[in-house]
Amino acid sequence: MGAPRRLAAGILKAAIDIAPEASREWAAAMLRELDFVEGDWAALMWALGSTTVILRHAACAWQEWLKGSTKEEVGMNNTGKKALGVGLGMLSALALVGCTFAMLRIISLVFPGLEHSPWAYWLAVMVVPEAIFVGATIALWRKRGPVAAGILATGLMMALHVAVHFSMR
Amino acid sequence: MKLRLSPQTLLVLDAFLVQPEEWKYGYDLSRVTGLKSGTLYPILMRMAERKLLETEWEAGEPGKPPRHMYRFTPEGLGFARANAPGRAGAGLEQVALGMVEG
Repeated sequence: MGAPRRLAAGILKAAIDIAPEASREWAAAMLRELDFVEGDWAALMWALGSTTVILRHAACAWQEWLKGSTKEEVGMNNTGKKALGVGLGMLSALALVGCTFAMLRIISLVFPGLEHSPWAYWLAVMVVPEAIFVGATIALWRKRGPVAAGILATGLMMALHVAVHFSMR
Repeated sequence: MKLRLSPQTLLVLDAFLVQPEEWKYGYDLSRVTGLKSGTLYPILMRMAERKLLETEWEAGEPGKPPRHMYRFTPEGLGFARANAPGRAGAGLEQVALGMVEG
């Protein structure tokens, strides 16, 4: 299996992880078809096209969710809604961290030298996610405060984890 | 049961109208229609959502993951015949002649 095909499979597998539940079956179908695509570069093109479809669906699902309350939220009391919001914020932040690690893994497969570069590692797992957390917290603070709080809490926990890691060394 | 009949959707309907009772695979449809995965799958997903297509996982060889396959529902077949009458094969001939780009 050539490097483009390995990369194609890696990209699609990472995309499946963030696919909304409704389109996960389709994402798996696209991944399965990858085995039948003739040619490594054609496989990579197939994966990129499929990933675009999955990301578009994920973005639509997010947009729907951000627009208004979910079905589960209706009928909950205020504390329940806030707790759900904080939980979703934390889950979203953790999903981002998961995606970052997946991307780092893919990049290290393509550029093996980067794996040993500490600045690239910290940039990918710390600086970029923290910047996104801060941006998301600011953007969501007024509209969906509990979600923003969940994201912020996860960001702080990650930062604390890194601080402890450095102090131990 | 509305479906926007873009040229790409008509190509997919054409592909399904050839031996409509048979199950078809995503990559085979992509090759026949000349459509890339990023164009083909949204069409398949919309068709399945509108109950024009039925989908199933094929039980393959042991140890190998199953493959997703598609075919018209009776409604889908009726819809295709009503909206692409006499088109079956025409678009595919164009693909075979290299006239349609993916």
